[in-house]
Amino acid sequence: MVENFAILPCNGLDKCAGVISREIAIKLCENGKNEIICPVYYRVAETKYNKIAGEHALLVIDGCHNRCASKLAAEKKLKISRKITVTEEAKTHHIELKRNLRLLENEHALIESILNGLNNVDNTIVLTLEETNFVFEFVYETYQSGKFLFRIPKNQEVYFNENDCWAWVIGNRARIGVTDFVQQNLSDILYFTPPGIGAEIDQFGEAGEIESSKSVFELISPVSGKVISINETLIQKPELINENPYELGWVAEIELTDSESDKELLIGFDQYFEIMKKKVEELNG
Amino acid sequence: MSEFKVGVLSCSGEECLGGTISRLATRKVLEELKMVETVTLCLPLYLAGGNEERNFAKVFPTISVDGCDKLCAKRSTEKYSGKINGFIDISKIIGAENALNTKIVRNKDLTDEHFQMVDQVAGEIVKMIGSINPDAYSGKAFHGCGCGSD
Repeated sequence: MVENFAILPCNGLDKCAGVISREIAIKLCENGKNEIICPVYYRVAETKYNKIAGEHALLVIDGCHNRCASKLAAEKKLKISRKITVTEEAKTHHIELKRNLRLLENEHALIESILNGLNNVDNTIVLTLEETNFVFEFVYETYQSGKFLFRIPKNQEVYFNENDCWAWVIGNRARIGVTDFVQQNLSDILYFTPPGIGAEIDQFGEAGEIESSKSVFELISPVSGKVISINETLIQKPELINENPYELGWVAEIELTDSESDKELLIGFDQYFEIMKKKVEELNG
Repeated sequence: MSEFKVGVLSCSGEECLGGTISRLATRKVLEELKMVETVTLCLPLYLAGGNEERNFAKVFPTISVDGCDKLCAKRSTEKYSGKINGFIDISKIIGAENALNTKIVRNKDLTDEHFQMVDQVAGEIVKMIGSINPDAYSGKAFHGCGCGSD
């Protein structure tokens, strides 16, 4: 059940998805055990809502890809425990949202599905890798091709797939992201679409998208498990992936379901370094 | 066809009846009473840095509709886009006690009396739109409808 949460909906008034975000938030508060945060009033007078956000886990409900509620949470430096985006949920449930702002049969069906999904997920508050006090320190090997420099972490706990994504595995958690090869190829990254918090991802399943003016890259997760956290900063500053895709530009944290099996299909630094060099040479050749 | 549009910004009003009435009255104006002449500016998007919304409010006349005397919509609009053309404080129309009612916030809980309040506020918005002179804005260019539905 969703209980003891602070709920921050986007409350958009210009799209149906925003109206749905509000409706979900209000319904979740009917049990008297959750608190709603008004996204507009929060910007005007923040003391009240800082207190609520500080005392509760935070559920963010974005209506559309503008992700106004997520941006507000990032701006206020709030830690998001769970997050949903209505338009993505609509796609998942094969429900087409109309331009009309009225909530009709389809919209109510979507609201019920989202509420069921939220209430059926275990709400245990998860700790992120940073909170578990792991030192985030990579040792890099570099490879230069023309003006491009490619760095690859050599740490034993970092695994790669041949789709140019990495996973830093610590115990039953992993942080994932893309390698320098991806960010150099994409050039200036403009948009980041994170995976949904709470989403179950298969090994080699999609875990978000990164888009530049050149193309869109689907991040292929090296590991399987549940998304427990995403790098919120990337929503506003996707260019951090260009800056350093391993540290500032990490994408998500996964609670692993079967890390030992996952590792069997992954490669370590030595192998990936050779593969990446070949890819770079092929591109330049 | 006229390109003249009035932007209407409703407060989000999550915690009280005034906010709910603000949203409903704004929608009534947009969807029924002044469909052609109005666009809504999504206040949360506007505040999150939506350039289309902010630029619209700089170029075209804008009216804010607030559920209570905190005037979140008015204050926010003025902060980012300058002076607005008019503002409505719903608590002045339906009374502060009604506007600040925290027990009734969902549409489904509204009574006929509340819907009369919606009509009353919508009427005030329409009056305010009518008081704006379109000629003062002729020739001003705005690219994009400002509704944020991209």
